[in-house]
Amino acid sequence: MSGTAHRLPGDTGLLVDRGKPVSFSFEGTAYGGFEGDTIASALAANGVKVLSRSFKYHRPRGILTMAGQDANTLVQLPHEPNILADRHPISEGLEVMGQNYSGSLKHDRGAAMSLAARFMPVGFYYRALYRPRRIYERFWEPIVRKSAGLGKVRLDTPHGYHDKAYAFCDVAVVGGGPAGMAAALSAAGAGAKVWLIEENPVLGGALSYARFDLEGTRGEALRTELIAAVEAEANIEVMTDAVCNGWFADNWLPVIRGKRLYKLRAKEVVLATGCIEQPAQFRNNDLPGVMLGSAAQRLIRLYGVRPGSGAVVMTGNAHGYQVALDLLEAGVEVPAVIDLRAAPGDDPAMNALLERGVRLLSGHTVTEACAGQGNRSIAGVVIDSIVGAGTVAGQPERIDCDVLAMSVGYTPTYQLALQAGARLGYDDSEAIFSITGQPAQMQLAGSVDGAHDLDAVVAEGRRAGWRAAIALGLDAGAEPAASGERGAAGVNFPWPIFPHPKGKDFVDFDEDLQVKDILNAAADGYSELELVKRFSTVGMGPSQGRHSALATARLIAKATGRSVAETGVTTARPPFSAETLGVLSGRSFEPERLTAMHHRHLEAGAQMMTAGLWWRPAFYGPKERREAAIAEEVTAVRQNLGLIDVSTLGGLAVRGPDAAEFLNRVYTFAYAKQPVGRARYVLMTNEAGTVIDDGVACRLREDHFYVTATTGGVDRIYRSMLWWNAQWRLDVDISNVTAAYAGVNIAGPKSREVMAALTEGVDVSAEAFPYMGVREGRVAGIPARILRVGFVGELGYEVHVPASHGEALWDAMMAAGKAAAIRRFGVEAQRVLRLEKGHIIIGQDTDAMTFPHEVDMVWAIAKKKPFFVGGRSVELRARRPMARKLVGFTVESGPAPSESNLVLRRGEMAGFVTSVAHSPSLGKTVGMAYIPPEDAEPGRSFQVKLDNGAMIDAQVVPLPFYDPDNARQEM
Amino acid sequence: MSAEQQIQPEHFARRSFLYRTLVKAGARFVEINGAAVAEDFGAPEVEVQTARRMGLADLSPLPRSGFKGQGTVEWLSAQGVDVPGESNRALRQSDGALALRLAPSEIMILGDLAGQGDLPAKLNQAWDSEALPPKTPRGFPLPRDETHAWFLVMGTQASAMFAKLCAVDLRPQSFPGGQVAQTSLAKMTGTILRDDKGETPAFHVLADSASADYLWGCLLDAMAEFEGGPVGLAVLRDL
Repeated sequence: MSGTAHRLPGDTGLLVDRGKPVSFSFEGTAYGGFEGDTIASALAANGVKVLSRSFKYHRPRGILTMAGQDANTLVQLPHEPNILADRHPISEGLEVMGQNYSGSLKHDRGAAMSLAARFMPVGFYYRALYRPRRIYERFWEPIVRKSAGLGKVRLDTPHGYHDKAYAFCDVAVVGGGPAGMAAALSAAGAGAKVWLIEENPVLGGALSYARFDLEGTRGEALRTELIAAVEAEANIEVMTDAVCNGWFADNWLPVIRGKRLYKLRAKEVVLATGCIEQPAQFRNNDLPGVMLGSAAQRLIRLYGVRPGSGAVVMTGNAHGYQVALDLLEAGVEVPAVIDLRAAPGDDPAMNALLERGVRLLSGHTVTEACAGQGNRSIAGVVIDSIVGAGTVAGQPERIDCDVLAMSVGYTPTYQLALQAGARLGYDDSEAIFSITGQPAQMQLAGSVDGAHDLDAVVAEGRRAGWRAAIALGLDAGAEPAASGERGAAGVNFPWPIFPHPKGKDFVDFDEDLQVKDILNAAADGYSELELVKRFSTVGMGPSQGRHSALATARLIAKATGRSVAETGVTTARPPFSAETLGVLSGRSFEPERLTAMHHRHLEAGAQMMTAGLWWRPAFYGPKERREAAIAEEVTAVRQNLGLIDVSTLGGLAVRGPDAAEFLNRVYTFAYAKQPVGRARYVLMTNEAGTVIDDGVACRLREDHFYVTATTGGVDRIYRSMLWWNAQWRLDVDISNVTAAYAGVNIAGPKSREVMAALTEGVDVSAEAFPYMGVREGRVAGIPARILRVGFVGELGYEVHVPASHGEALWDAMMAAGKAAAIRRFGVEAQRVLRLEKGHIIIGQDTDAMTFPHEVDMVWAIAKKKPFFVGGRSVELRARRPMARKLVGFTVESGPAPSESNLVLRRGEMAGFVTSVAHSPSLGKTVGMAYIPPEDAEPGRSFQVKLDNGAMIDAQVVPLPFYDPDNARQEM
Repeated sequence: MSAEQQIQPEHFARRSFLYRTLVKAGARFVEINGAAVAEDFGAPEVEVQTARRMGLADLSPLPRSGFKGQGTVEWLSAQGVDVPGESNRALRQSDGALALRLAPSEIMILGDLAGQGDLPAKLNQAWDSEALPPKTPRGFPLPRDETHAWFLVMGTQASAMFAKLCAVDLRPQSFPGGQVAQTSLAKMTGTILRDDKGETPAFHVLADSASADYLWGCLLDAMAEFEGGPVGLAVLRDL
């Protein structure tokens, strides 16, 4: 059960712990593996070859890279689709399924698509699916949508915990191979704080799986040595299992590790991202069993898994011979090494292979992989001798095998460098990409920079780290010695592309694109690579062209008669690899503000609502009693005694010798002569004359106003005040003290008796403390500011105390009012109460165009003062005919309108309802609406269109609806 | 049960902005400055270890104040306050209080952590007692004890924890003692001051009092991976 069928003996497998077996399932069948196995390695150990089905033709696919770089290994987990099976570790009980099939992974009905391949050339749907008109939307789109996508997203997936963290370092080294480790050691040794970012579970890069010498020991020895040095260096933060997924301006690097996104800011970056081995193109080059040479090595060295029974190696460089040696040592028969090169030159590995009876063929290629049953494996390969670039002699020979390992060349892992603005060139003599022009604060090191000789890789890593340290101004000592031979010669075979008359010679495995698809795109006139990409979708799949860009560039270059350098690759954009939405969103931070009395409201059964960031009680009692509760709260205030938490009101301290002058300029009213101890209404307009806020200004001292602002507007008003004060340079200081004060409004005919019982140092009688008076004293022993203001239109007092004392004040008020049957009331009742009084709410009864005359606020504009913000605009707008007016209305019978219902005049939109409620005090529906001025006379009626489309008549009535003489609030 | 153990926040008119959360976490309170302050959470010895690694204390009831506007620095200096020479720096005062310069003419005063010093109160009284209107500019007092909750984040993991909430580099080598950052913390405006307690890195956090519960929750959440938790004022004596 532990996947022993293809597992190598002993304890081989750097990443797996043979002492810790793990059980999991794939496609419903139980398998075993070891801790450290990926899904793909464990399945390979069990002899499972097919991991997925291809996107378009549903062809079976298996291991290609074992590096988490290709779409062949995408599988489905119960709550996560598109998991890379060659990167995701197995865990006990893990349930893994294939994806993108109809039926089963083994017998996919979708594979029939392959039979229709000839009718589905690149771009066929652009040409075929659009006639007759609208056929695409009605017929084809549902089919395309059903077959699009890969895995399945489950909507019942539980939320995972993802978060983000900021991080800083002097040098970020991306890639923990020999170059990266050498660079990190060099920079850290000079005193730099280094992040060493490696996407695999262990450091080492190619040292951990590739073979560098005949004995096969050099890589591991160097890996051990470098890791020991890294671990001993306190200045290096090792980040394994972490992917640097992009490069953004000023070396801002998103680094993903597990469910956390690090937002890393690095002063210097060293890219040691290595290179990506490339596949060759021949018929059936996508079938399970055909893999990169490095994939075979990874299976052997990282996981202790034998890739197959018999392996042919197809090579275009010296690396293929190392692969063959590794395969032999792993117990795999190697019937032949097929070298594309006509004259490979001397290589000790060749002799070693010859001595072991391996057949070596130079100047040959594989032209076809012979499919096993159901295309689910290969049974052999067909080889032929090369007579020209991409052409063969036509003397095929079959060699039986179940694995074909390809070592024909590499591309540098150029994505991050190109995102940073570097340019990609192509060395025609070596048939290899090169990177130049990276920004000053970025160094390249190792094979990404074209160094393939191991000594050169390490030496250049050291030099890159040294350069980064020097750029940081550190004393990094003498420049490390330059590398010798870089080893780039002969690494890439220039033309490993052998189109087959029967096709299935894939360039892009993700999108099932064959050689002819790319050539057809060019033949259709799409000569620019960006256009080829968009027309053919090459490079648009999950692996983002990692294994198709080079072949595509070569094919397009040849087809258009240009060099590969001129053709280039498509734009490299972040992210480098797939990232989940959870990682991008991270932990959500949603600040909320609670008043000091918040928990008292909850204890009293309040239904809470939000007001900006604040939570406020909407009403008290069960939701199903909403209407009744609101009516009872309104009635309590009108007839007896109510208490509401008004702590969320904005509070601004405006202090200094010019405080009154400042208010004169920012508000419409006049404040210069406002007496100390009095409150005055404030109305603010913006430069366009639009009403944007209101409140009251309480003059506490000659040079000190305490100004209230709307809950939602105060932060904006505060910023606006600071901005204006910066312009005017008045001797005034403005502070936002909203959170400093808790506030209540005790309102109703009995409010004075409660206040009298609680208040010290202030005479609350009508004579001593009249309407719009402001006093400072103590309420319930708490220092308080007391305001006689009347938003709800009854005798009432707003009491503002330090926030830390808010709950104690509330408790004292409730206790003192108990005998008088005090009742808490919420925002909904307050809205009804103020509506009965005809008081507007900024933002509800006003919009982005409202100016004072429309809402009958001319009384709040001081006529004699020379200036206020928006004054000139108000004056100009007042000269023009008014387009609408806010009026009070009632509906005598029938259904009531809703807020935002349209007012219609002769069938045309002429206004809208801003507020509406059933008035418990008046026993009828009252509201406010913008209507045409010609209809605004009391007694006239206008039409409102209800939500259901019905029309009703509403009658214009004078405001306020209730207590028009304001006798109750001024008693 | 001693009298001290029976102290509850609701015995006082002045209450911490998140006293319920502290009660739920098992806080034992002592009276300081006319309010209940969490002295410990039942296991002072363990809390010292927690604090050295990753602890969070609520100091909200302790005295603090602030002054802002023209003449602030001159007036405070005349009152004997040692005012930092540049913004975003803090200086310890002779009685253990801290003066944070938030802007050229804006100073925040944090009383000593034992709650025994009276610098904030003294300054407020001195300002109130002077003749009005002032003959010379002297700034204006700010109710920092009401606008801001006051937490102390401490422990060797503090900067790693902050990295999840705040974009400022708070690593020890980048953010020395006495440095102040006025920044965004879990999407809130916050002021952070580094003020180590002995060998233990420590950071004062001052942020909107109305969001105290929210921020406390965010900090504890971010501390979870470091096995951090709430600690009382008592641990500060042992660090």
